[in-house]
Amino acid sequence: MKKTTIWDVLVIALLLAGGLTMLVPFLWMVSTSLKEPGTLFDLPIRLWPEKLHWENYKQVLTIVPFGRWYLNSLIIALGLTFLNLTSGAMGGYAFARFQWKGKDVMFLLSLITLMIPAHVLIIPLFVIMSSVGWIDTYYALILPGLFDAFAIFLMRQHFIQMPKELEEAALIDGAGPWQIYWKIALPLAAPALATLGTFTFLGGWNSFLWPLVATNSIEMRPLTVGLAVFNTNFSTEWTLLMAGLSLATIPPILVFLLAQRWFIRGLTLGSLKG
Amino acid sequence: MNAFRRFPWLFILPSLVGFLAFNAGPILLSLWISFTHWDVFQPLTLENLIQSWAGLDNYRRMLADPVLKKAFFNTLYYVVVAVPLEITLALAIALGLNRNFPGVRLIRTLYLLPTVTSVVAVGLLWRWVLNPYVGPVNLFLRWLGAKIEALLSFLHLPVPATVHWLATQGPGWLQDPAWAMPGIIVASVWAGLGFRMLIFLAGLQNIDPTYYEAAELDGANSWQKFLHVTLPLLSPTVFLNTLLALIAGFQVFGLIYVMTGGGPLDATNVLLFYLYQKAFGEFPPDMGYASAIAWLLFLILFGLTVIQWQLRKRWVLEEA
Repeated sequence: MKKTTIWDVLVIALLLAGGLTMLVPFLWMVSTSLKEPGTLFDLPIRLWPEKLHWENYKQVLTIVPFGRWYLNSLIIALGLTFLNLTSGAMGGYAFARFQWKGKDVMFLLSLITLMIPAHVLIIPLFVIMSSVGWIDTYYALILPGLFDAFAIFLMRQHFIQMPKELEEAALIDGAGPWQIYWKIALPLAAPALATLGTFTFLGGWNSFLWPLVATNSIEMRPLTVGLAVFNTNFSTEWTLLMAGLSLATIPPILVFLLAQRWFIRGLTLGSLKG
Repeated sequence: MNAFRRFPWLFILPSLVGFLAFNAGPILLSLWISFTHWDVFQPLTLENLIQSWAGLDNYRRMLADPVLKKAFFNTLYYVVVAVPLEITLALAIALGLNRNFPGVRLIRTLYLLPTVTSVVAVGLLWRWVLNPYVGPVNLFLRWLGAKIEALLSFLHLPVPATVHWLATQGPGWLQDPAWAMPGIIVASVWAGLGFRMLIFLAGLQNIDPTYYEAAELDGANSWQKFLHVTLPLLSPTVFLNTLLALIAGFQVFGLIYVMTGGGPLDATNVLLFYLYQKAFGEFPPDMGYASAIAWLLFLILFGLTVIQWQLRKRWVLEEA
């Protein structure tokens, strides 16, 4: 272990200062959300309100269907995660353990879809979803997650690295492929599933462009779209907007602090996507 | 394993359905629509698809569209400023945090917090933070300007106009066409920094410490170690990270939608926002033209990836 030099201390102090600067926007958000409506532009500008106006939170909950938006975000994120884990793990298993006709072609096609940016899909998906009448339903918001090349590759990689012996033993004992997959392979893949799950959940929770296009009623909007539209209608009510924003931002941050380990693994793995 | 030959399609079926219905199908449809004057209010039938054929109309129109040209250069402006800024800062922070020190994890977490915040929340938050009158950024800039002004007059030096402007007014940020894009860039660097840093940290932690020991034996100082050990060994990560940042940069949308709506005076209208406007933001929707823009953006991204890979061969030290 090297000994700590003045230089190290200086670097850490600088990084800490930078890190605290990163916090300023969040603190400003919370401080604004607790100020008295209509006093934001009074001089001198206060960094922190004299009296905390918690009623802003109550008010924002009554003028917009915040609970419903939360629920929608949760349904969408959980639905996408469920689909992604189910079909991704099954697909990854098929690629890792089976030999089948068309495997190489399918692999190549999946690789190509990673190259096609999501924005190319927005218009045709909208056209398709409107023609089947699924716009403004959960189907349109969740079902496109059925295929995700990244999920398949991640799970395939994990299954390939897993020793085959257990599965082969089960095969000799007369278990079918589905039983082997469900009872042996999948439980052993729990770490990969957790990583993929965290990653998909957060991606679904934060998705914006597709839900913006695929919903049009207030009730069907997820939190992201709800807030963005709320902003265009209430852009002068900063105290309320910041109260809403705090409600939207703080839970994901708490989830992140709890699940940081999986999340960081997911992020670094996700960086291989592209 | 013989039994594994029997049911592969059972396992691949969900993915296959999703692939055909929500990926391959839409991609082909998008390509077709870009060659049509597609009207969203007609049913999606083969007959309508053939009848609305317009040849190269949409692509020809792009060449003569001044707003598209502006959106293209705005996107370029955003990418050219935001990406190097984000990458350099993230690398510097990662180098600083790549050491054992009590509290290092806590500091790392501070940088990561914006990463878990949705792009909409980031945009709304920064609209308020960048408020020219009462936002903390301009409060700080005015305070800084006043201090410089006071110092200069104390030294009996002339006060430049920019310092006076900073002390009394400061940038108009999102309301000023000249400052709107810098405002977006500040928000996006704040939001994206943590993620880039994390990728760099992962790369740094993969470097074998024996290289540093060897360099130290040869009497290398910190700067020489960085230049001759860290940078070459980190070059694959730098390339990957830059490519990812470039691709994401060309697809910037959420921040623009929330912070400026492409304005003021199209100063922050970027390609993906323009596509959105054409397809969903105006009446009647112009799906054909918007699809053509989507493919233009795809070609840019594809070209970029190819160039990066060519450069990679020349610049990146490949892992043995």
